Amino acid sequence: MPGFKPLALPANVVYTYDGSFEGFLCCVFESVYSGELPLEILREEDAQPTLIQSRSVATDPVRAERVRASIRSKISERALELVTTAFCSCLAQKELRMLEFLLRGYREGAKLCFMMGDDVTATLLRAEKHLLGEAHLLKGFVRFADVGGALVATISPKNYALPFIARHFVLRYRQERFMIFDKTNGAALVYQDCKAEILRVERVELPEISESEAQYQALWKRFYDTVSIESRENPRCRMTHMPKRYWENMSEVCGLLRPKAE
Amino acid sequence: MDLMEKLTILTNGAKYDAACTSSGADRPGKTVAAGCCHAFSADGRCVTLLKVLLTNHCIFDCKYCVNRSSNDCRRTAFTPEELAGLTIEFYRRNYIEGLFLSSGVMRSPDYTMEQMIQALHLLRYRYDFWGYIHAKTIPGASPELVRRLGLLADRVSVNIELPSEESLRLLAPHKKREAILAPMKQICLAAGESRQEMAVYKKAPQFAPAGQATQMIIGASPDTDYQIIRLAAALYGKYALKRVFYSAYIPAVADSLLPALDFKPPLLREHRLYQADFLMRQYGFGAEEILSEDMPSLNPYLDPKCNWAVNHMQEFPVDVNAAALETLLRVPGIGPTSARRIVVARRHGRLGLAELKRMGVVLKRAQYFIRASDWPSGARFDKHTTVRALVDPNVFSFGTEQLSLFPGASSLRQLPEAGEARSVAEAVEETVLCLASNL
Repeated sequence: MPGFKPLALPANVVYTYDGSFEGFLCCVFESVYSGELPLEILREEDAQPTLIQSRSVATDPVRAERVRASIRSKISERALELVTTAFCSCLAQKELRMLEFLLRGYREGAKLCFMMGDDVTATLLRAEKHLLGEAHLLKGFVRFADVGGALVATISPKNYALPFIARHFVLRYRQERFMIFDKTNGAALVYQDCKAEILRVERVELPEISESEAQYQALWKRFYDTVSIESRENPRCRMTHMPKRYWENMSEVCGLLRPKAE
Repeated sequence: MDLMEKLTILTNGAKYDAACTSSGADRPGKTVAAGCCHAFSADGRCVTLLKVLLTNHCIFDCKYCVNRSSNDCRRTAFTPEELAGLTIEFYRRNYIEGLFLSSGVMRSPDYTMEQMIQALHLLRYRYDFWGYIHAKTIPGASPELVRRLGLLADRVSVNIELPSEESLRLLAPHKKREAILAPMKQICLAAGESRQEMAVYKKAPQFAPAGQATQMIIGASPDTDYQIIRLAAALYGKYALKRVFYSAYIPAVADSLLPALDFKPPLLREHRLYQADFLMRQYGFGAEEILSEDMPSLNPYLDPKCNWAVNHMQEFPVDVNAAALETLLRVPGIGPTSARRIVVARRHGRLGLAELKRMGVVLKRAQYFIRASDWPSGARFDKHTTVRALVDPNVFSFGTEQLSLFPGASSLRQLPEAGEARSVAEAVEETVLCLASNL
């Protein structure tokens, strides 16, 4: 960063925080006010005992709010949106990358978001694109099953995409009751009585599917198999558009996956 | 006959229709404005809509069609209730985005259209289904029925089937060119009127809000790529079509007027036509720029954009730090997204190759045609290097026999003979030599 005195200098310290977005904002506060750029920012449950000095950053709503307001006023609304989205992504060392972005942003202002060729911005934009791309795919790839009148689906995305698909499904199934269980992140979007919320759920026991449900799944599988044209078969193309990691939760193709070795 | 069998038969009859898009309807939640793919079938095409026929009974005898009246196959029809129930249950489970309804011609075009309208009406107003509906009109149906269909569906389409009138007369004797173009014009006008009415009165009835599309079959008739592209350009211009779909002919039935049953569908040619189509819709190219009277076939080895670029080397290099958006769009490897990003990013600093790469611009092809802050125009390559880098590796994954499916391509440019056993590397070298010498 030529011409700018950095806000924080590299320091031999690791921050740990509680894993919430507010917690992360408090890490930003800590970094700016102590003038140190930590080696790493870890969630408390991921932290391993090491020789490097580690500091636990307490989550303080007042400080978090101050940081949030400062991002809005000193950088831009878009910067806050970008950071919020990146926080849900599966970017490696996302907290540190986001901190680097914010420290630069406090110095350079709103234009940083438009410097798409810059390393710190490009990293976050890539993470955002990955997450939004996955969320878009999931809008199509979620498969509900009717369980006693309620709709239930399981997903296992790489990113924490649930908040980004919630609006779509709530609008689509306004009159229904449904749940989308995110296996990777241990969360579930539950919608009933016209109210949606995302809950922490570790596992979900699903009852056996009914006969009529099995029949619709069979009809769908038959339609899916029939609609393909044999002389155009192109498994590579299918995998490009519909990566195999989604297949386990899709009733029409999960049978094509090789059974896992016991 | 049970539902499973009906679904199988009527899907089999409808699957050769290429269109399966769901973009253009804006009803938040019920449809996704940009379109949404729900699955991809084994042939790599997306499954967005429940694509079925209302019936595969047909009085027409189009030579290329699986449902032609002289074809001996099992015939059936959905009742409107069955179809509505299936659509609703699939939509509820998020299997599909909506319904694609086509049909064979039962008794008369008007009777068939009435049946389709009845089914869609039931779906919209009894079952309150507001997902996407794409409906095919039947050639020869009366204008009043086309209007009613357009008020129920999001997208309406009329298949133009074959690129020229002669081919149509030969292969689809019951379909008249006027019977295809008249409803197209009607839909175009009605959609325009409806948009105007809605500007005045928000609740005016919407007529086909997602516009209209069409499809033509490639490789069943001797029409050239130039004719096809010109026709597509005319359709986009004259009838404001949203999409023209190209469908590689797949031999479904034997006929002396058609390619033999073991004929391989011209997938590479179809791919090139789609590329040319995108150039016209999203990159500001005209049909005359892509092909011309004396070069009537698309180049199998180079995609149309690269082909244009190597034939217009005087327009390059393009300076990414200064060129207009339309000029950037003409650089091979830079698409609408990259071009827009470049325009935004260069306001805040000069762009070099590293910046371009981080922004997601694919430099593999673009590097030969651009000038960036650390990439001077002096870094030119000779024609051979350029062409070698641009030859589409897909050509060889499609299989060499695909090359012979370009009418006149091999004789025009003395490209390597297709079908000979050769290594891919050898084929590329030879291609480079003859393309570079032809430039």
